[in-house]
Amino acid sequence: MFFLQELERVISLHPSFFGPRVKEYLTTKLFDDVEGTCTGQYYIVCVVDAFDISEGRVVPGSGLAEYTIRYRAVVWKPFKGEILDALVTSVNRQGFFADVGPLPVFVSNHLVPSDVKWDPSATPPQYTNNSDQVIEKGTHLRLKLMGTRSDVGSMFAIGSIKEDYLGSLT
Amino acid sequence: MLLRLPSGLHYPITVTELLKQQNDDVERFAPLFSYSYQTTVTEGDEFGEDRQVQKTFPARYESNVEGVLKAWKINKGTVIAQSVAIAEIEEPCSHNVQFGGMCANCGRDMTQTSYVTEVVDAARAPINMVHDNVALRVSQDEAAAAEDEAKRRLLSAKKLSLVVDLDQTVIQATVDPTVAEWQKDPLNPNYEAVKDVRSFQLKDDGPGGNGMWYYIKLRPGLESFLETMSKLYELHIYTMGTRAYARQITDIIDPKRKIFGNRVLSRSENGSMSAKNLQRLFPVDTKMVVIIDDRGDVWNWIENLIKVTPFDFFIGIGDINASFLPKRPEVPQGASDSVSKPARTVVGGEDSDNRSEPHNNGVGSEQTEDSDQATGSLSQSSVRSTASNASTLDQLVSMSGGDDPSLLQELTHRQDEAIAAQLTDRPLLQKQKELDAEDSISETAAIVADGEGEIPAIPNASTAAERPRHHLLRDDDRELHYLEKALRKVHADFFETHARQVASIQGGRLGQLRPGEKRKQPLHANSDLAVVPDMKVLLPQVKRTVLSGVVIVFSGVKPLHIDLNQFDQAILARNFGAGVEQRINKKTTHVVAGNARTNKAKTAFKRNIKVVSSQWVTDSITQWEKLGEEPYLLKYDGADPLFRNGEDGDDILSDSGDPPSPGSEEDDPSANSRRKRPALSLDINDDDESDIEGVLPSDAMDDKSPIGGGKEDWQEMNDELDVFLAEGDSNDENSDKEALASGTASVDSNKSAKSTKSSISIRGKKRSRPGPEETDSDESESPGKNKKKRGTTLSQTVVAGNKDNGLPTPDITGGEEAKGALEKSNAADERVEDEGGGWSDFDDDLEAEMEKAAKEEQGKG
Repeated sequence: MFFLQELERVISLHPSFFGPRVKEYLTTKLFDDVEGTCTGQYYIVCVVDAFDISEGRVVPGSGLAEYTIRYRAVVWKPFKGEILDALVTSVNRQGFFADVGPLPVFVSNHLVPSDVKWDPSATPPQYTNNSDQVIEKGTHLRLKLMGTRSDVGSMFAIGSIKEDYLGSLT
Repeated sequence: MLLRLPSGLHYPITVTELLKQQNDDVERFAPLFSYSYQTTVTEGDEFGEDRQVQKTFPARYESNVEGVLKAWKINKGTVIAQSVAIAEIEEPCSHNVQFGGMCANCGRDMTQTSYVTEVVDAARAPINMVHDNVALRVSQDEAAAAEDEAKRRLLSAKKLSLVVDLDQTVIQATVDPTVAEWQKDPLNPNYEAVKDVRSFQLKDDGPGGNGMWYYIKLRPGLESFLETMSKLYELHIYTMGTRAYARQITDIIDPKRKIFGNRVLSRSENGSMSAKNLQRLFPVDTKMVVIIDDRGDVWNWIENLIKVTPFDFFIGIGDINASFLPKRPEVPQGASDSVSKPARTVVGGEDSDNRSEPHNNGVGSEQTEDSDQATGSLSQSSVRSTASNASTLDQLVSMSGGDDPSLLQELTHRQDEAIAAQLTDRPLLQKQKELDAEDSISETAAIVADGEGEIPAIPNASTAAERPRHHLLRDDDRELHYLEKALRKVHADFFETHARQVASIQGGRLGQLRPGEKRKQPLHANSDLAVVPDMKVLLPQVKRTVLSGVVIVFSGVKPLHIDLNQFDQAILARNFGAGVEQRINKKTTHVVAGNARTNKAKTAFKRNIKVVSSQWVTDSITQWEKLGEEPYLLKYDGADPLFRNGEDGDDILSDSGDPPSPGSEEDDPSANSRRKRPALSLDINDDDESDIEGVLPSDAMDDKSPIGGGKEDWQEMNDELDVFLAEGDSNDENSDKEALASGTASVDSNKSAKSTKSSISIRGKKRSRPGPEETDSDESESPGKNKKKRGTTLSQTVVAGNKDNGLPTPDITGGEEAKGALEKSNAADERVEDEGGGWSDFDDDLEAEMEKAAKEEQGKG
């Protein structure tokens, strides 16, 4: 789910950047630093604006200046039970991997409808029920998150397509 | 799941009440039963004194799993003395498949721990068996099930699994930009070879992070090879390159993904950074797997491996991803390539030395390639020995430190460096320049040689005039052709064996139905898989048929300091069914010799044993076929001065055949005679070390031509010999006597020095002293009698110590050889015996010993 979130970040600036364009520089650095990262809890999709840049404070002993920037950003946090569209990246006997944007999701073969069977001899290997459902690398599908787990700087999720209206989008 | 008690309870415990009944739901942390235990505690009484009291405490045991309680294994009142199973609990999810620390089926976090946790749930699925993802792990049962299913599928399709290595097995990659230049220039001599080289750019790779262009040469015949193999095998890629690299290569060799599918495993997903492990792909059972790789050591020489000759198209580049592997310990037969690739020999020994050099050093090829091309065979052999020493340690270190991030960083750094060096040094360009330079030299040499008539190893020398420049790169690799043949054979044998075993099982079942016979056959679900032949057994068997019946003796091929059991070619030959022996005996069928002049080769000629070059073994192994010996036979040359002059003296006999040792001036006859004199007196050596001549010569000799030396050499040697004989005949006897007279007669300083040396060697039995003298004395295949006389008396113990146990004693060998070499030896022996009379200057005991030996000898004679 997407949120507009107010966040805060401390940026240290080298004295060589002190000058009239310091705010511009801080904003650019903020964008570079946080956009597209994962905190472990959510992904920061994009920074909307940096609305509050504090006074710079020189850190004793180093000469670097510290700025505290408050900014608004669009963040995305996957939730357990959420329905999402995904793109299949690889398929194997245990299940298949799909990407929901930056989030890797694994769908186990237990969480695939029972009529959709693993067919290893097809090229490329696929899950199929020999009619409308074909899940191979590159398939678009809709899935439900069964659980998420966060590590430092990365997230994993388990998905399921064993419910009505889930599965490949044709 | 069977619930076991942890080992940390206060045993013995007494169960006081079962809190859950059969078929009850059990949650995590729910109390299962209560119990009591006894322990001693310290109590203070009213007087302030401590005392030990034994007390009974009640406690409750809480479940660490959830599910339905199926059965109790204990009852109320049971006294439990140790960790035992207490109950059977059926879990709703067994967490067989886990992804990133979550159960893939129920979504629960597997890494959570609590006070009741015995084993983290994540440990239930420890096996990583998917090619392209490390976050997905499965349990043992799941892995086994998956493999059984895969095996059934393969069996029904009559396929096996084939694990294919990329670098130097099916392709070779380089980052040397010279390739691109050559590709653009149709006039370049290498244009033909590089025109089909493919290239791609890898972003964010290598030093500086910029995209780097990689040039990929496919091994000749790769496309059809993969096409054919994909009908017989299910192919997997297992490479030490990165994921991105592997993907790019796969795009080139299999653009439609029909052959490999997504069965690509790269360094990024491999658990270890330095070794390949078949269990990574086939965790349970490797019965139906064949591996092709150019490196045996990374697989720890597993039996499923078919080792292929490294594909070395971009000469001097080696394996681009080899920084991650232990150093290549093998010494490829670059030097003995001359038989199959005569064109290579055209520019002389120097050049092919140079080519094989980077090979020997394996990894950092570009660092050494320029350094020591001309330093000669000694340095090469020393390089070799240090390389092999380093590799063992290296391997151990890198195997154990697979997960060490600092090591990983260092390795990555090393690879970056190697790649950067390749970019800046442009080894290919340098080599082509060298080649051009050598070309111009050899051209002039050819003109000079024209006057003298034929030149050995001609094929290209005559064409040198028409073709101004030789091309460095050759596109003549045939390995895949042979490999295909071998793999077909393995496939056929496998399914033949399988069919036979299935038939026999069915026969058994029929027999079971027969009345009166009530043999129980296990009819469980896996019985069909139980009869699958094991590739680990089958492959060695198939290999062994190749050279079966062949008994090989190596001579002048194996570096002396390497034990026969560690000599690569010997190991390979044994793997392919040949017997390898230290010494020639009745069973010997082939002598593999570096040249036709080694002791063993000569013995073999006398006994009509085939003498072949080592290329015969290599080619037979490569082609999986016992090849005809004809093209590889080393010729017995009747006009050989060695044999012609045999009667003149043993020392001479051997010495003329001895290629120059490092540091000695062959052209100087006096140097020759100096080296020779002690040889006679040092004759106590047995033939145990007859391989000594093999260390250095094999490198030098093999370059020249397939059949020993060329005619030029003979001419030269004859001349030299004549010169030597002219002056040597008179000198030699003197010096011999001097030598035997233990230095009392001093002629000149040089001679006395020598004779002192020789007397030392007689008295002190100094045998381990290395040096040209010793080499010579070994060379001089000295007729058995001579040897026997002194060998038996003086150095027998040493000799016995040196010998392999299972081999004939020196006496026997000596005797046999004596029969063969009787003609030659007679003269020499008589002379020695004559001299025996004038030994008065010797120490008494020594004299006595010698005389005794002489008498024995005469008695026998």
